[in-house]
Amino acid sequence: MISSDKIPNNVDLHLNKRLQRALEHWQPAYIQWWRDMGPQGFQHFHQVYVRTAISVDAAGWAHFEYVRLPEYRWGIFLADPTVNRTIGFGDFFGQPVWQEVPGEFRNQLRRLIVTQGDTEPASVEQQRWLGHRCPSLYDMRNLFQVNVEEGRHLWAMVYLLHSYFGRDGRDEAEDLLARQSGNRDKPRILDAFNEPIDTWLDFFMFTMFTDRDGKSQLLSLSESSLDPLARTTRFMLTEEAHHMFVGDTGIGRIVERTCQLMKESGFSEDVRALGGIDLPTIQKHINLWFSLSLDLHGNEVSTNAASYFANGLKGRAEEGKWTEHRVVETMYELEMVENGAVKRQGVPMRNAMNEVLRDWYVDDCQSGVTRWNKILERYGFSDRLRLPDRKFNRGIGQFAPIHTDPDGHILLEAEWQRRNTNFFRARRTNGTCCRS
Amino acid sequence: MLRHDGPFDPAAALEAGLVTFAPDSIDWDDEVRMAVEGRAAMSPDALTGMEANLRFVGPETMETKIFGRLTAWQNWIFQRPNAVGPKGALTSYGTSDRAEFDYNRT
Repeated sequence: MISSDKIPNNVDLHLNKRLQRALEHWQPAYIQWWRDMGPQGFQHFHQVYVRTAISVDAAGWAHFEYVRLPEYRWGIFLADPTVNRTIGFGDFFGQPVWQEVPGEFRNQLRRLIVTQGDTEPASVEQQRWLGHRCPSLYDMRNLFQVNVEEGRHLWAMVYLLHSYFGRDGRDEAEDLLARQSGNRDKPRILDAFNEPIDTWLDFFMFTMFTDRDGKSQLLSLSESSLDPLARTTRFMLTEEAHHMFVGDTGIGRIVERTCQLMKESGFSEDVRALGGIDLPTIQKHINLWFSLSLDLHGNEVSTNAASYFANGLKGRAEEGKWTEHRVVETMYELEMVENGAVKRQGVPMRNAMNEVLRDWYVDDCQSGVTRWNKILERYGFSDRLRLPDRKFNRGIGQFAPIHTDPDGHILLEAEWQRRNTNFFRARRTNGTCCRS
Repeated sequence: MLRHDGPFDPAAALEAGLVTFAPDSIDWDDEVRMAVEGRAAMSPDALTGMEANLRFVGPETMETKIFGRLTAWQNWIFQRPNAVGPKGALTSYGTSDRAEFDYNRT
């Protein structure tokens, strides 16, 4: 039975017959999915200390309690509405925002929501074995906190599908539980979410780099003209911040420990023998997860991205900071591949919206890397970690057909084959897909 | 299906494949609104084309009805300003611009 006691919400669930009826089918399927695909070995007995959102205000969004994970109260929350909010970008700039899905944009909006929604359960699936080898209780709590909140983010997207997309939406909500990370027949939609996360270094890299793609996507969706989508994603961002904190500080702690061990051993390079993780290994993981997460932003030049922007469905991150919001005439300069060579070229900015969001993302990642390098500096090391060039190891977009080293220098096929294992950790490959 | 006796209710019609979609009462208003809005957002020429097509028809055979009408309809649609004008649907397809349509009767 669906009730507001079990499902904390601020969407008047007790009055919403349609949502209740949809959830009556979906909620048991979700719990079953959580048992099958959620944290393995931590379902039945363990009481886990986690944060549960019970309202959106300061007192309610961080309520802590001990729960068995399958009994976690996944809730449905929208950030408080902005009075008289108007559309902030695109062709409908200045008009009132939409409280319902316009028929014209139904398919586009559904696709955006499904693509975002698919990443949430995917990450829970990717991380489901990590509880068995966590470095500390602190890390374990963080892992489960991230997991239950990714679950709640799935609920948030399912709420939108159930409430605004009729039968199609209910079908899509079921499919979100049917696809599985890394499953050859029914993979998750985006490639980085099919990549196995077997180690805690991968987990920290994922929360640092891939969850940060989640942040850029949520920021751009929180500008949407569809007000329920904007409000839902705005609240999700408050939780997402913690996930990136886990990654950022997790890698920071590893770097710190590596520095300590190197110092203790008199700066000999052999940190591995001392039980640490050497800097080249950390760099290889950065190279892999950063490049995979760049792919998530989609093609550099994309008419889909242009039309999402024109129609007011998906804006730029922090749209309010831009001075011009219609972006009809503005050009944007970016690197393009022509006959195997890289050139700078201008394209209409609307077509380059994926790249504009990627710019924001790269800057945000860089600030984390700068923090890690401060640790190295503090210990007196000259080595530095860095983000690889954005042309490196791309599976999506115009750089996909070329090979480069992490500095962005073009490599011939033979040289790439010879050297690429030095660039990132070995990976199992899956199909490739992206936001188009 | 041929053995079915009596009228089909919506659920039975859906089951038998006679209709592709049968929204129930809880979805009805929203589905109808979105279907109408979705269609209304497209070029109005599909309808004006149909009307123009029927306006001056002479004696017809089955062949002219199928091939002649279809050709005439397509020629009408694809040459209209709503398709190939500066703001037409075909002109703006694949660009970042939205098509703008003339809704006046022709």
